[in-house]
Amino acid sequence: MACRGVVKRFHHYEHRTTSLREFFIRSVLRRPIHVRRARFTLRGLDLRVEHGESVALIGSNGSGKSTALRLIAGIYQPSEGVIETRGALAAVIELGAGFHPELTGTENAELYASVMGLSRAEVTERLPEIVAFADIGDFIREPVKYYSSGMQARLAFAVAVCVRPDILLLDEVLAVGDQSFRERCLERLRAFRAGGGTMIVVSHDFETVRELCPRAVWLHHGLVRMDGEFDAVFAAYRAEHG
Amino acid sequence: MAADGVGVIARESPPVRVNAAGRSAPLADVWRYRGMLRSLVVRNLKVKYQRSALGFVWTFLNPLLTVGILAAVFSRVVRIPIPDYWAFLVSGYFTWNFMQQMLSTGTYVIAEHTGLRRSVAFPNEVLVLSAAVSRLVEFAIELAFVLVALVLLHHHGVPASYALVPLLVALQVVLAVGLVLPLATVSVFYSDVQHALPIALMMLFYVSPVFYPTTLVPSAFQAVYYLNPLAGLLTLFHVVLYEGRFPSGALLGGTAAGAAVIFALGYVVFNRYKALFAEVV
Repeated sequence: MACRGVVKRFHHYEHRTTSLREFFIRSVLRRPIHVRRARFTLRGLDLRVEHGESVALIGSNGSGKSTALRLIAGIYQPSEGVIETRGALAAVIELGAGFHPELTGTENAELYASVMGLSRAEVTERLPEIVAFADIGDFIREPVKYYSSGMQARLAFAVAVCVRPDILLLDEVLAVGDQSFRERCLERLRAFRAGGGTMIVVSHDFETVRELCPRAVWLHHGLVRMDGEFDAVFAAYRAEHG
Repeated sequence: MAADGVGVIARESPPVRVNAAGRSAPLADVWRYRGMLRSLVVRNLKVKYQRSALGFVWTFLNPLLTVGILAAVFSRVVRIPIPDYWAFLVSGYFTWNFMQQMLSTGTYVIAEHTGLRRSVAFPNEVLVLSAAVSRLVEFAIELAFVLVALVLLHHHGVPASYALVPLLVALQVVLAVGLVLPLATVSVFYSDVQHALPIALMMLFYVSPVFYPTTLVPSAFQAVYYLNPLAGLLTLFHVVLYEGRFPSGALLGGTAAGAAVIFALGYVVFNRYKALFAEVV
């Protein structure tokens, strides 16, 4: 996985035209349709992650960690620069955001797995594994709207690891679930690493990420501030942020 | 999310970009996501029909009641001089109903899947297609009833022109998707669409040959009339299903060309802006 000079520009709108009426009025009067200022989330990210590496992205809120993950996942398109990824990729961003409240856990798992690119046969084959890993008992046959947030997170996480990606992107997902589920997640992620999987993790749960990721990248205002051994980077980050 | 490149990174080989969202996706890309398409269709139908005792009956009852009212009014009150008026009406009405539902639900399909789009990368086209295929499943069942009714009560036999039905349905789907693609794009950015669409659909109903035949349109207006993309399609259905004749090459070719142009233009608009969809919440 490599990012070269990736820039992501979002626009801060001072005035945003959201109705066609205004669009026409502004066109006729030759006024700008949107008044906006560029707001950079990433200002030139260079990052190379080798196959089998585990990297933690750390940084304060708004430093661009989640945006970086969404760019790598292909959800956002970069404003400038190139992102290259090799192999199947699964992202766990906003756990369970794609679930449909009226469908059961099983149905949602099937849907989610197929959205992640699994074929129908693969979905059928992996479903027992997903159900077993989520381990939410009879709730698996209930509509997701009756789930607690923890149960939703467990199901979403179970789907993501069971699609067996080559690259796994995790955004603040280690903080969910109870102690025993967390233990199983960590165990699963360790196995994923041992099997040669590549992992990029965004988390503020430093104790956990330290265990998973030997390397850390500190993002600061959309730039890589420091890249290296987890302990060294974390110490520098701590020194600045207390 | 192709599974190629598993194993050690070969640095010499050209890089593989596996991310799908926003990239100008050829049809092959959509084909790779057929599993997702299928799941979305199954989900749409499940969500629509679960916990409703009558299920599909509702879907069928709505156009059926409308057809009943229209048939009563236009064969008894305002007389439209057509033999077996009911047969004329059902041969086009269900296509109109498909178009109307496709436009009024498919248009919001991008906005409805914000959660999914922000957490997983996949080609947005699949969402639009899933709306079309979901409706197509329902339409196919309705059409089967219509064909049987026409064969038994109107033609008293199977006209050879029925061989063209699959082609007409294909045209109908291409046209519907072509119209929905740009509407779905605009509706992501502008909320006006949801206000304007019901009015536009109401007007479209009256300027389309749904309850009257195209032949009643004065000849001076015929050329302009066929600018409505639905005019050609509905007339084709009337000719093939109701009259049981083969359509003229001009009508079939013109309608197909119109559908192709609308699809191409719609897809260009959609492609141009789809990379921005994920950023609008």
